[in-house]
Amino acid sequence: MKILYRWLKEFIDTRLPPRQIQEALTMAGVEVSSCRFLGEGLDAVVTARILEMRPHPNAERLSLCRVTDGTSEYGIVCGARNMNAGDAVALARVGAKLPNGVEIRKAKIRGQTSEGMLCSEQELKLAEESAGIMILGPETLPGKPLADALGLSDWLLEVEITPNRGDCLSVLGVAREVASITGEKVVLPDASFPEGEEGIGSLVRIDVSDPALCPRYSARVVTAVTVAPSPDWMQQRLSLCGIRPISNVVDVTNYLLLETGQPMHAFDLDRLRGRRIDVRAPREAMTFATLDGAERRIEPGMLLIWDGEGPVAVAGVMGGRDSEVIGGTTRVLFESAHFAPASIRKTSRRLGLSSESSYRFERGVDPAGTLYAADRAVALLSRIATVRTAAGSIDAGGGSSFSRSVPFRPARAGRVVGRAYTAEECREIFGRLSFPVAEPEPGEWEVTVPPYRFDIEREIDLVEEVARLSGYEGIPATYPVSKAPEFSEDDRFADRLEQACEFLRGHGFTQAVNFSFVSGRNLEKLAQFLGYDPEDALRLRNPISEDTTVMRPHLLTGLLRNMSDNVRRFVEDVRLFEAGNAYGKSYADGHYQEPRLGLILRGRRLPSGWSGGPVQADFYDLKGTVDALLSHIGAGPPHVVPTRARPFLSEGKAADILLHGESVGWLGAVRRELLAEYELPGAVFYSEIRIQAVLAARQEPGSYRPLTKFPPVFRDVACVFPAAIPVGDVLSMVREVAPEVEGATVFDVYTGEKIGEGKKSVAIRVKLQPFDRTLTDSEVHSIHTKIVELLENRFGGKIRTS
Amino acid sequence: MPGTSEQIARLREEGLAALAAACTESELLAAKGRFFGKKGAVSEILKGIASLPAEERKAVGAEANRVRAELEAVFDSRLAGIREGERLAREGRDRLDVTLPGRALPPGHRHPISRTMSDIIAVFRRLGFSVQGGPDVEKDYYNFEALNFPPEHPARDMQDTFYVESRDGDLVLRTHTSPIQIRTMEKTRPPVRIIAPGAVYRSDSDITHSPMFHQVEGLAVDRDITFADLKGLLTEFCRMTFGPGKPLRFRPSYFPFTEPSAEVDIRCVICGGSGCRVCKDTGWLEILGAGMVDPAVFGFVGYDPEEYTGFAFGMGVERIAMLRHGISDIRLFFENDIRFLSQF
Repeated sequence: MKILYRWLKEFIDTRLPPRQIQEALTMAGVEVSSCRFLGEGLDAVVTARILEMRPHPNAERLSLCRVTDGTSEYGIVCGARNMNAGDAVALARVGAKLPNGVEIRKAKIRGQTSEGMLCSEQELKLAEESAGIMILGPETLPGKPLADALGLSDWLLEVEITPNRGDCLSVLGVAREVASITGEKVVLPDASFPEGEEGIGSLVRIDVSDPALCPRYSARVVTAVTVAPSPDWMQQRLSLCGIRPISNVVDVTNYLLLETGQPMHAFDLDRLRGRRIDVRAPREAMTFATLDGAERRIEPGMLLIWDGEGPVAVAGVMGGRDSEVIGGTTRVLFESAHFAPASIRKTSRRLGLSSESSYRFERGVDPAGTLYAADRAVALLSRIATVRTAAGSIDAGGGSSFSRSVPFRPARAGRVVGRAYTAEECREIFGRLSFPVAEPEPGEWEVTVPPYRFDIEREIDLVEEVARLSGYEGIPATYPVSKAPEFSEDDRFADRLEQACEFLRGHGFTQAVNFSFVSGRNLEKLAQFLGYDPEDALRLRNPISEDTTVMRPHLLTGLLRNMSDNVRRFVEDVRLFEAGNAYGKSYADGHYQEPRLGLILRGRRLPSGWSGGPVQADFYDLKGTVDALLSHIGAGPPHVVPTRARPFLSEGKAADILLHGESVGWLGAVRRELLAEYELPGAVFYSEIRIQAVLAARQEPGSYRPLTKFPPVFRDVACVFPAAIPVGDVLSMVREVAPEVEGATVFDVYTGEKIGEGKKSVAIRVKLQPFDRTLTDSEVHSIHTKIVELLENRFGGKIRTS
Repeated sequence: MPGTSEQIARLREEGLAALAAACTESELLAAKGRFFGKKGAVSEILKGIASLPAEERKAVGAEANRVRAELEAVFDSRLAGIREGERLAREGRDRLDVTLPGRALPPGHRHPISRTMSDIIAVFRRLGFSVQGGPDVEKDYYNFEALNFPPEHPARDMQDTFYVESRDGDLVLRTHTSPIQIRTMEKTRPPVRIIAPGAVYRSDSDITHSPMFHQVEGLAVDRDITFADLKGLLTEFCRMTFGPGKPLRFRPSYFPFTEPSAEVDIRCVICGGSGCRVCKDTGWLEILGAGMVDPAVFGFVGYDPEEYTGFAFGMGVERIAMLRHGISDIRLFFENDIRFLSQF
């Protein structure tokens, strides 16, 4: 909200200059995000009058002006033509530096000396564009600082009001806040005016049928006024605070809105049918045309203002067309009411309609201030226009006291804040706030809170007032004394994830972070290649863009996009990983979210180097990384089995990753159609791992195995198999042949002409390690024979002898 | 046994001659083996010393040891000489160019958000906090209601919320990590000291706002936890994160779930307080929000506010990463451009 310093000064004669107000308010919780002098850069510009004007002797397009600033005369060469002798103008004298950066120097222009410059609005940064120089009002006296002449010798404070402080949404509210900091007094401007003969009761009848939603409704009537533009000063204040001037009557209501925070509405009394008002919510849905021209659907429960025949305004939100003040209006009813905040909030949200009024009513408008605002409106109007007023006012609900009493213990404040507050200190603070204090029991206070402070209902609210107004800077910095917390499951999860991320980083993978939401349209388009039914995705009801409509079911599309983007930027070898959630619908809980680790890889195994040619990375590079990663975080190397259940991976190059028989993820080459979609040339390998499942399979090291003193024996076997035999199965069965077989590894795989079509030769090294003895030749021979039998009989292998 | 000393003297002569004649390391080693190694001639004499008359033993033993030590010294200096000679000979032939790049896969990079988040978590874990997670598709109850945002309250406007289609219509993408406070207090009794990192979502997008970003939340509840404790803890955190000598400022503010509340500013890391574009000429940068847990929140989780007090704080991870690395456009974090990521 914008606050003008001089306007503020009309409510509190504070000794603090604008910059100090900014600091003080900010440190009391009413943040002033900017504070600037409106006449910035205009200090060396003064008003002047053109005494004489004649053409430049040597330049057709220039003229020579003789101007006065009241004390001296100056000869000025000027390029504009929109002025005449006698006009009041803005003169930048020699030495002035204009807001647009131009510095004024004495200059000779085509032989004529120019002792300054006549400025345009644009040059003074008062307008985006201007046709010629600025011509001031004829009444302008020469020699005044331009800022003064334009009413710009003021400061504009930009105040950020938190939602609990609706009371600060006005000049008056900010003045009260200043008073609570400095102890200075707030003075309300005079709201008196001469009342006319005619009693308000004979002009209009007002009922409030729904007093719960409208606890107070005050009104004043003006019986004769001519609708005309409001004076410059008022228009300027409104404009500077962001409200467009309309007419004297409407401007007064807006001026009051800014000044007291009381939203007001001006009805053309003669357009109120039956000259009566009722405040109530309709029982049935209906439509109503608001001021902005829109037809609004009104539901039961939304509070309306009615005249004798139908609704004329949505209470507290927006007026209607048929009763607004127009050019020919002469009699005006000023409405100044208090509507229940929750009701206005609901109505405004349902209608999708927010206004300066509804914004304030939602946050709470002082119920005790309605009549003052109505009076002040009429008083102000009578000052800027010729008016006749009705005698008296209507004030439904005016008899109530809206203040409340809140308990407070100074000791409690000390306990919460961690610094002792004396009774005197608390009393002094409540005094600055104008909160009367009673002490029925020692240490147990009753604090009376004025009705405009909607945020104060409980003791803790008063504790906050004491803490903030005594200053947070005075609170010591101590350290919490507490037992060290348990090491949580999530601590372990965070540790393992950190380990995994660091492992991957060490293995050349760079971490990506993508949005959790993806394009639903893209998911639909790729559904058949992804093998994902978009119906299973979790959708946003109000996405911010087309690209962010559903929660991602996996990490694949994000990483493909990242890879594609990087390849397009000439990065050929890309290894990326991402740790993040996947989401979807689930029958049990409606939805699920699961932390996953996605790895994607393309390009060369090692950067091209000096010691070897470039080798393209393949499936086994990624498989090796996954094996090592799972071992690294303690879940052991997984069992990788072929799968056909992952349509986004190429057939025959797709595998499931199993730990203890449970699938914890998948691994493979991304299918061609997806690569085409993301314009990725060459092969891309992808793995996605369910982190929780991996951690569940994790095993802490148990008791150690004693170390043997006896030497191992190695035996190599080369065997030709049918190509379809999975070597992984061969190895696991070889390991089971005898307890002495400690390991079996592949050290060569060969396919080619020498062994024939549909065959592969696999060389296996077996490590035999007895624990308590040296193996005899016959024992070794016997195990070797068993292995050969296994390879031949079980896997159809043929031992190679050479 | 007459002749033993002569024998020793002869072995000495021969040994020195053999060492002098050796041109390579292996010839040198051979000479050592023959004359004074474990099974060399001098050692053999020493072994046989037991058969000598007692009066001779001492003199012969001392003489043999002296000769062996002498030969060993000559051996060492010859060995060094030969090696030096070989090194000189090799020079220019098979010397390595150690400046050639090594043979390894260059490491990748951590995303700056993840790195910053890990750093923040590490600091608070050192300060005695334990990690807690929570779902990012969250119930309205945890994201708003139990945090004292009543329905229809304007405070809900502070955080433009994404709603998720669901059967009961009560799912949102969490707008902050604060729901984890409620979930934690629901299942534990004080003392509570948690740090809760995670992704959060708000319907807002420009160069300083991203519809998804990350927060780290903290919560401590116990008997006698005070606002002063909050100040002390956050002061320590900032010192450990931004380095010493950066003043902090606690400013009153408003959050529905804390009271009294504060926003915490750090002295601008760019201009040091003299005023610049980043701090909008205020000399201060807002880095986190904090406050004492509102008694109403304790009401939702069944803690007695007369017995327990607590503080909570929350900070934006991107914001801190942006300040640390001078990044001005938040969107860079989510483009995953390797040229950007490889700088971290």
